[in-house]
Amino acid sequence: MLQIIRRVLMILSAMALCASSHASAQPAPAANTCLACHSTLTDAKLTTPAKLFSGPDVHRERGFACVDCHGGDPAAGDKARAHDAARGFTGAPAGQVQIATCARCHSDATLMRRFAPKQRVDQAAEYATSVHGKQLAAGHTNVATCASCHGPHGIRLVSDAKSPVFPTNVAATCATCHADQRHMAEYSLPDGKPLPTNQFADYQKSVHYSALTKGNDLSAPTCNDCHGNHGAAPPGVGAVANVCGTCHAIFAAKFQTSVHAQIFDKGCVECHGNHAVLKPSDDMLGSTGHAVCATCHSGADDKGAVAADGMRRGLEELKLGIGKSGELISRVGNAGIDVSNQELALTEARSRLTLARTEMHAANLPAVNAILAEGTTILTGVDRAGQDGVAELRFRRRGLAISLGAILLLVVALGLKVRQLDRRSHP
Amino acid sequence: MMHTLVDWLDERLDLSSIKHFVAEKGVPIHTAEVWYYLGGMTMFLFGVQVFTGILLLLYYRPSSTEAYESVQFIVTQVKFGWLIRNIHSWSANLLIALAFAHFFSVFFLKSYRKPRGLTWLTGIFLLFLMLGFGFSGYLLPWNELSFFATKVGTGIAGAVPIIGPFTMRVLRGGDDVTGATLSRFYGLHVAILPAITTALVAAHLLLVQQQGMSVPISIEKEEKAGRKLPQMKFFPNYILRDVLAWYVVLAVVAALAAFYPWELGHKADPFAVVPPGIRPEWYFLAMFHTLKLVPSHVLGFEGEHLGVVAFGLVALFLVLVPFLDRRASRGERSPVFTVLAALGLVYLVVFTIIGHYAK
Repeated sequence: MLQIIRRVLMILSAMALCASSHASAQPAPAANTCLACHSTLTDAKLTTPAKLFSGPDVHRERGFACVDCHGGDPAAGDKARAHDAARGFTGAPAGQVQIATCARCHSDATLMRRFAPKQRVDQAAEYATSVHGKQLAAGHTNVATCASCHGPHGIRLVSDAKSPVFPTNVAATCATCHADQRHMAEYSLPDGKPLPTNQFADYQKSVHYSALTKGNDLSAPTCNDCHGNHGAAPPGVGAVANVCGTCHAIFAAKFQTSVHAQIFDKGCVECHGNHAVLKPSDDMLGSTGHAVCATCHSGADDKGAVAADGMRRGLEELKLGIGKSGELISRVGNAGIDVSNQELALTEARSRLTLARTEMHAANLPAVNAILAEGTTILTGVDRAGQDGVAELRFRRRGLAISLGAILLLVVALGLKVRQLDRRSHP
Repeated sequence: MMHTLVDWLDERLDLSSIKHFVAEKGVPIHTAEVWYYLGGMTMFLFGVQVFTGILLLLYYRPSSTEAYESVQFIVTQVKFGWLIRNIHSWSANLLIALAFAHFFSVFFLKSYRKPRGLTWLTGIFLLFLMLGFGFSGYLLPWNELSFFATKVGTGIAGAVPIIGPFTMRVLRGGDDVTGATLSRFYGLHVAILPAITTALVAAHLLLVQQQGMSVPISIEKEEKAGRKLPQMKFFPNYILRDVLAWYVVLAVVAALAAFYPWELGHKADPFAVVPPGIRPEWYFLAMFHTLKLVPSHVLGFEGEHLGVVAFGLVALFLVLVPFLDRRASRGERSPVFTVLAALGLVYLVVFTIIGHYAK
């Protein structure tokens, strides 16, 4: 009975599709009985694809149908003919077949130009170079393929905020496998150590994650910005500074001129960490306390320690000076004295502080001190103007105090006069 | 010299009636006499506002692109511009405080009773006008706080049922607070409101002079019972006392201007996020905070609409007080109105303080 109802529904759906294609001015699409049939099934595994594909799906919206990936005969009225291997039915493509299925269109520059002319067409080639691709080629079918990240049905554009590969969702998508200890148990690092699964937790502590999710800065890096997306792999030793340098170009350039560039195996990671990159602070500099330099440098004989402490001292002095001058200027400005030039100069001094912090990556004390000295000179000018403002305020208050004195004298005189008049009126 | 000038005028204008008025006019002396000076002090500050306002007009430019810069120019570049602007700002606030004090003193002493209903009417409208001056003047420096406070304030005006949306559009000169709003507020602040205020102040003064000073009901009863109330001469005894009070007010304004300069803040940016702590000037705080506390819906009506209507009714009640307080008109004590005045005063003080500290 169920079988009969299902067939009747299928035929009715097919008829409805034909009717709508006649009514439309668009070229008539081939009848798609796949959706009609699959949406009436009871097994969620078979109905979900139909449901997802019927909703927002970039492929369906551009005129593609189930047959384009799964093959078979979408016009057939019965399952046997629709799923006939002779008619190209492949079922759910997995592993290399899935890569090839997607690549059939996505690696075809001529075809892709019709739909997304700016989109790259080398994803499959890139994938082959990735750890995922290499593992798949080695026979590990559990690794990520296209559908693992983009989804098999209901695929959305990368620019769609609901897409699993939208910048704010990428880390969680990667974490579905990489934070799963059971899933990752069968893989190990090149040195044989077990593959860590704390990357996502670490990343969530980072300044990058904060900028992306709290600061709504979609340019802030997530997994694929450092590891690549289709060609995903850990950046090799020596390549870290280049990876960080794609965004932090000046820091990377300064670092390349430093003595550390020759010594640090992991480049920037040595001081800043990898996934848990915290907001940098001046506390990281110096040879004592929690300073990262203290890991290698300590003692008065250590040139590195002397340089680190010198740079830290200079930065702190300029910071303190900016704070004090800022307070002075703010006080004078609030009292109505023009301080626009001094505010501009303070901005300049703050720029010097930033420049000095950048220069510090070259680990060159004289170069840092030269920039800090420029900042100090600017502050001297600001302070001088601030003191002039204070003197002007003092002058104003003195003037008003004299005026107030005169007014009060007048009040007293008037009071005496009033008393005299009252005495005359009421002796 | 003075006599020569008076004689010269007398020959041409016949000042005998004025001379007679000045020579004969007396002011009653009693325990509540001190409240008489509040009106004069308020008027003196209005004069200060007119004088400093005219000086500010020499440099102020009423456009959204130049207003802030012109005020900045006044306080930083113009010789003594900072003093004029500080005095204008402080004097405005002190004026409203004194106007409220004058209002409550008249209310508590029942000085509005017959035949002084018209004096009360002109006075209450003057109080409303002072609030209008404050509201329109607050926007003129075109800084961040005033911009967003005006947005909120005109939004409240928009909550008046039926005429609200129209009033809001008229006030704003469009759907939002823009340069058009600034132009309108400027026109209101420097032309329309001063013209109406000058006429009302003249009428108020004329009525006060014609009807003489009111005395409290209890003293009036004693007077009717035959007790002779001592009087002081209006000129020069009372006038000199008034001038003395003005000088005290001037000293207070000067001290405030010197030691607590009025901040200019940051220029308004209509596209910026609303900064935290946006609130109106202190004299609107009680009303603002009350509207914040009203639930969004009360008995099926919008809470804000109800709140605004309630304030409108309070204003109407205040206007009609002389005609509602029949007991006072008959020269009898009217404790109900005394209690209402006390409740009003407590409400204003408490809600202003709460509104100031509320987040």
